[in-house]
Amino acid sequence: MNRDKKEKTAVLLMRESPTKPLDSSRMRELRGLAEAAGYQVLAEVSQRRGRDSRYQIGRGKIEEARSHNPEKLIFYNALSPNQVFNITSEFSARVLDRFNLILEIFSTRASTREAKLQVELARLSYDAPQVKSALALKKRGEQPGFRGAGAYEQSMYHDIRGRMAKIRSELAYVENMGEDRRQRRREQGFDLAAIAGYTNAGKSTLLNALTGSKVEAKDQPFTTLSPTTRAREVLGRRVLFTDTVGFIDDLPHFLIKAFRSTLSEISEADLVLLVADASDPLELLRRKLAASHKALWDCEVRAPIVTVLNKADRLEEGRAEKIVELIRDLAPCPVLASAFSGQGLGVLEECISMRLQPLQEYSIRLPYTAQGLSELSRLYETAELLSVSYEEELVIRLRAKKETIARASLSGARRM
Amino acid sequence: MVCAVVSASISPNFMERIHSVRLIPRETRTIDINVILDFLNESCMCLPGTIVAESGDLYNMEIWRVKSILGRDFKYPETIAERMAVETAHHISIAGRRLIVGDKSMHGKTGAMNKNEPG
Repeated sequence: MNRDKKEKTAVLLMRESPTKPLDSSRMRELRGLAEAAGYQVLAEVSQRRGRDSRYQIGRGKIEEARSHNPEKLIFYNALSPNQVFNITSEFSARVLDRFNLILEIFSTRASTREAKLQVELARLSYDAPQVKSALALKKRGEQPGFRGAGAYEQSMYHDIRGRMAKIRSELAYVENMGEDRRQRRREQGFDLAAIAGYTNAGKSTLLNALTGSKVEAKDQPFTTLSPTTRAREVLGRRVLFTDTVGFIDDLPHFLIKAFRSTLSEISEADLVLLVADASDPLELLRRKLAASHKALWDCEVRAPIVTVLNKADRLEEGRAEKIVELIRDLAPCPVLASAFSGQGLGVLEECISMRLQPLQEYSIRLPYTAQGLSELSRLYETAELLSVSYEEELVIRLRAKKETIARASLSGARRM
Repeated sequence: MVCAVVSASISPNFMERIHSVRLIPRETRTIDINVILDFLNESCMCLPGTIVAESGDLYNMEIWRVKSILGRDFKYPETIAERMAVETAHHISIAGRRLIVGDKSMHGKTGAMNKNEPG
């Protein structure tokens, strides 16, 4: 029991650039991540200086961190293989950087096969260049025997690349399945809305508040890894809301690439609800919104965006309007809401229905065949029928999505 | 080198309207931050609003330094629309550069062919 407790202690270290202003929110975020991974934080050590090529941070600061006798040293800044080697060998300390800490959280929370594959791909994408560089370092010294490093070590890099290719092909299959699922849902007359935003902004709570579901929602980063979809009718439109994995600042590009099949739920959506924590200090809120915009840009989102300024119930009177004004350049179509108290959800629904692409009006003809009549029955479910007249053929005037009409044409429907 | 300037009105996630596009070529022997900032300033002359440029194009220089050198409002792209505007300018500059370099190489080739022609 004591041993377990000891294994989960850590000291947080952060090097801040002297040219940039002090930002204590980054250390707070690192603490939140460490606690989400189950670490007990013993101390926080930070230093303003240029990058130390040997240890990333000053030697004295590492000694100060070691004096707390933690199991691990967690760095905010990314560590190179050389820096990891130097700190591990000279201070006999186990080290983690922020990226590895996030991967550790992901790997403990990944429950579906897709999520596990994505985490493994991200881990291998990170490891591949590190293994390459470690092999290069190893080859520099004196090598025993002919040609040095040995076949097993040489093949490790190629094994990693092979495994990455295999995972990518499996994930491509999952992605295609997701694309087919979305197409089917559109044919059934659903609009797809993705709930995206910075981690711990309250996306799962908003999904629960909007749809009345009971998805796991906690006050900690990365509670959700795999997308969860729930249906809800919003002012006459049938909408599928999908809760997605949260964004975080300064993430390497390959992590976003690894999670592409999950993030495609955002990029292929008809509407994106960008959730932000309105109770954050203004500077932090702006930084998180900018990070979310960057992630949405990387996901190639072209859909309209509605910004949900969540946790508005925590704001003081009069401050809410001021915040909306100050972040207007970063927040498209801002709506103040609280998923916890239900405040502003009515306004949000109105905003969602306004930003969704309006249904187009069509007139179609259907034959009096079994297939045609079953299609009519299906259209009653999936579209808004304006009139049905029984003439030589069935003449139907309706409002629907173009995918629904395309599906009807397979059953012999002809547009007029 | 070529500098493309796109003057546009933007909302947070869309470019609402493109007012004008400029494409300015310049030849220099060396390239450094001063040359780039001069070129940028000259290219954006008489265009109102905030200048948005990729941080890599300006050697990741801090915003306050760029602002003080240019003497006008400046920022690196944050929103989707700002990124879209910068991407549009990149496409225009690459297309423009290809056009200019392509023309030159064509003239060069013609010249070479003329030289090699038997007298």
